[in-house]
Amino acid sequence: MKGSTIPLKDNLNNTIKKILKTLLEKECFDAILVPSRVPSGESFTYLLINNKDFLESCTPLPPIMPVQGARALQNFTRRGKTNLKVLCVMRPCEIRASIELSKLRQIELENISFMSIDCPGVLVTRDYIDKPKESDTLYEEVIIQWKGEHLRPTCNACVHFSYKDILSDIHIGVVGQKNHNILLVPLSEKAKAVLGKIDIQCSDDISSWQTKINEISQKKMNQRNTLFSELQGKSAGAENLDKLFSECINCHNCMRVCPICCCRQCFFESSDEVRIESEDYFIKAQNKGGIKFPTDMLLFHLGRMSHMSLSCINCGICEDGCPMDVPVAQVFSFIGDAVQKMFDYVPGKDRNEPIPILTFKEDELREYEDSKG
Amino acid sequence: MKSFKTHKSPDDTIRDMLLFLLENKKVSSIFALSKVHNNNYAYTLITDKELLKNITPTFPLMPANAGKMISRLTMIEAVKSPVAVVLRPCELRALFELVKLEQAKLDNLLFISFTCGGVFPIKTKKDSVENALKNYWTNAKTGEDLQELRECCRICENFVPDNADIILQLAGKDIDNGTSVLMKTEKGAGFLNGMSEQFSEESLESTALDTIGEIRKEKKQKIFADLKTEDFGIEGLVNIFGRCINCHACSKVCPVCYCKLCYFESADNDAGPSIFEIELKKRSALRIPADTVLYHLGRMTHIGFTCVGCGMCSDVCPTNIPIATIFTKVSERVQKAFEYIPGKDLEEKVPVSVFEMKELEDVED
Amino acid sequence: MDEKTLPQIVGFLCKWCSYAGADLAGVSRLKMPASLIPIRVMCSSRVDPIFVLKAFLAGADGVLIAGCHPGDCHYQSGNYYTRRRFALTRKIFEELGLDTNRIRLSWISASEGQRFVNVVTEFTENLKKIGKNPVKAEVFL
Repeated sequence: MKGSTIPLKDNLNNTIKKILKTLLEKECFDAILVPSRVPSGESFTYLLINNKDFLESCTPLPPIMPVQGARALQNFTRRGKTNLKVLCVMRPCEIRASIELSKLRQIELENISFMSIDCPGVLVTRDYIDKPKESDTLYEEVIIQWKGEHLRPTCNACVHFSYKDILSDIHIGVVGQKNHNILLVPLSEKAKAVLGKIDIQCSDDISSWQTKINEISQKKMNQRNTLFSELQGKSAGAENLDKLFSECINCHNCMRVCPICCCRQCFFESSDEVRIESEDYFIKAQNKGGIKFPTDMLLFHLGRMSHMSLSCINCGICEDGCPMDVPVAQVFSFIGDAVQKMFDYVPGKDRNEPIPILTFKEDELREYEDSKG
Repeated sequence: MKSFKTHKSPDDTIRDMLLFLLENKKVSSIFALSKVHNNNYAYTLITDKELLKNITPTFPLMPANAGKMISRLTMIEAVKSPVAVVLRPCELRALFELVKLEQAKLDNLLFISFTCGGVFPIKTKKDSVENALKNYWTNAKTGEDLQELRECCRICENFVPDNADIILQLAGKDIDNGTSVLMKTEKGAGFLNGMSEQFSEESLESTALDTIGEIRKEKKQKIFADLKTEDFGIEGLVNIFGRCINCHACSKVCPVCYCKLCYFESADNDAGPSIFEIELKKRSALRIPADTVLYHLGRMTHIGFTCVGCGMCSDVCPTNIPIATIFTKVSERVQKAFEYIPGKDLEEKVPVSVFEMKELEDVED
Repeated sequence: MDEKTLPQIVGFLCKWCSYAGADLAGVSRLKMPASLIPIRVMCSSRVDPIFVLKAFLAGADGVLIAGCHPGDCHYQSGNYYTRRRFALTRKIFEELGLDTNRIRLSWISASEGQRFVNVVTEFTENLKKIGKNPVKAEVFL
């Protein structure tokens, strides 16, 4: 694998924007879907742009992720494919979520290309909104040092922060470049052709960058294992699980911001859950002496886990959306990891690999069934 | 009204009342805020009197709007045996609006409420609230502004529960000297008939309440004036709702936003890629997810008349948009234009569901 | 008239009265500016405030709701509800600094072809005076 070294002009975002500008000018793409600062300045959203002048307000690698890129792409292509050639500039986890959503028929990937960037993680959205300018400065340090205490907890346990196991086309390497340059790495034939069109020859050696990525991956894997064994202790048994989710007010925000949760009407907001005869509530109350309202909080979390954990790409946006700081993302990544390992499934890696519960083999999982006696 | 005074704290007074009602089988269960395990607070439906020791009905937190919860309970059918419900004035008003919208049934419900000093935002750490209690009740007595409360509460003039059966006088009173209980309705007096306390005659002490009302009104005028919604225009709307992430949490916790499948989540609102492509051609750039301002304006047209200003929406917003303040302000103006007070009178229908043959001549042509 | 300078008006016309009135204007060969995009609805009360908002935020310079005169609604009382909803929407526009001159409620009966032309012409003239809807260029909606 080879790449191209591009010198860094003032900062990372501006350097990437120059490349995006050229891609639009040379008509390699009809439009670009890229994060952008909102007019009031203290947050970010996605913009679909076909005019390079609008790249001004854009930030390809924003310090926060208030909107999951996959959710933005779903909003655009849920009803069908686009006829425009679109380049989506996203973080690796957002691309992985997009691939999962395409398996759930929520995104049409035809004519869509991806540009990914080495991701150090993101800051917590609410903290950022409180003090945007300070946080911007803080994040610049995060990119240079490649570590940070103020990041989303799941970011510290993320091993898919670079080019491996993601279906991106053009990848931008940032790690280990000491703020001097970036690496443009084509991950597909399509990418090679596009970069060729803008006169970028990918012939530089990138092995030192790859080594650095492996080093950091190893470190992150250790952090991940530590986090997960901590969570194993914290969540074992109904009582502990209750404690972990004790602050939850059952607002369902986590489900709403999750890119994988795509049902128009979540089961937990359907008639089955909210149109219940009063007698049923009283029977439950009488059995235990009393019940909490809203009801079924743990059921909601465990239910959501059974529905989406096979595709959980641990982006951590659920925890960002929680008004009560429940460690939702951490618990879901932990469980997601365990069930994905059980099926040897890596979400977002392969477009053609179906989600394990949507497929089967005739002879498998014998250890779970009981067929004798 | 019939009344009595206890030498106990408000929470203890309510506990005694509810114990009396449960033990004498006047109610089969009670609904109130409780301190549940792990140091948390949640609304609970209780049938076992042993669990009454955990209730904290006047604790200044609102983890969910009780009106919405009672609507869940009585959505399909009314409760079959009496239930005593302890809730705040805005929650009771929300419930009355929900009854008008056919989302709840009031039969067999006994309402116990109190003159309300407001609540802290749900994000506030529980131990901070517990430590701030003394300060909270001092402020509730004088009406002096407490900045840490929900903004909606600091500007609320509707803090006297119009439609409760039993009212505790808390705001405007020194609760260290005991608690005053008024039985506003015959029904309320009937339920508490036989409680050991001697009943006397009393009415709501309006002087202190008027003072508090004045303070809150002034605060409201200032906060509303600072918000300057009249100068928003499209630029202002884009600015204030700019960081909205279309999560719809505000609509889900709102008591009067009751549609099971919101228009904005239905297939009707999905735009195909061709629409995006057309809009992109028109504007050269397009925010995605789209229709953020439309969502808020649309929701405003749908709940403008029924918003009770409880403030749940601002509490759950992941990007701290002051939704409650904006919605409370605009809906108050809309309600005033039709002389409508949500939750006050069950017979007074929501303005969009009735009409006069001759009216509003200034808007038609 | 130059197509580019014409305001764009989205009109929700009720089938029984206003749409028929518009039809009559056409059949009678009455002249009016080509600014209106008609959308036929069964009754003016079908119009949810969200339709008005959608049209407005999509860039329409003006939004017209037209129905039967009060007392003449084909469904007895639909238009009374329309009037209430329109008053609500208009108040919200006012409170949020959006130009209330851009939304209009007119009663036009099936026999009022000329009235239909007058309404559209007048609305178009007003909109020309207040200019294009600034929402047209807005990106962060």
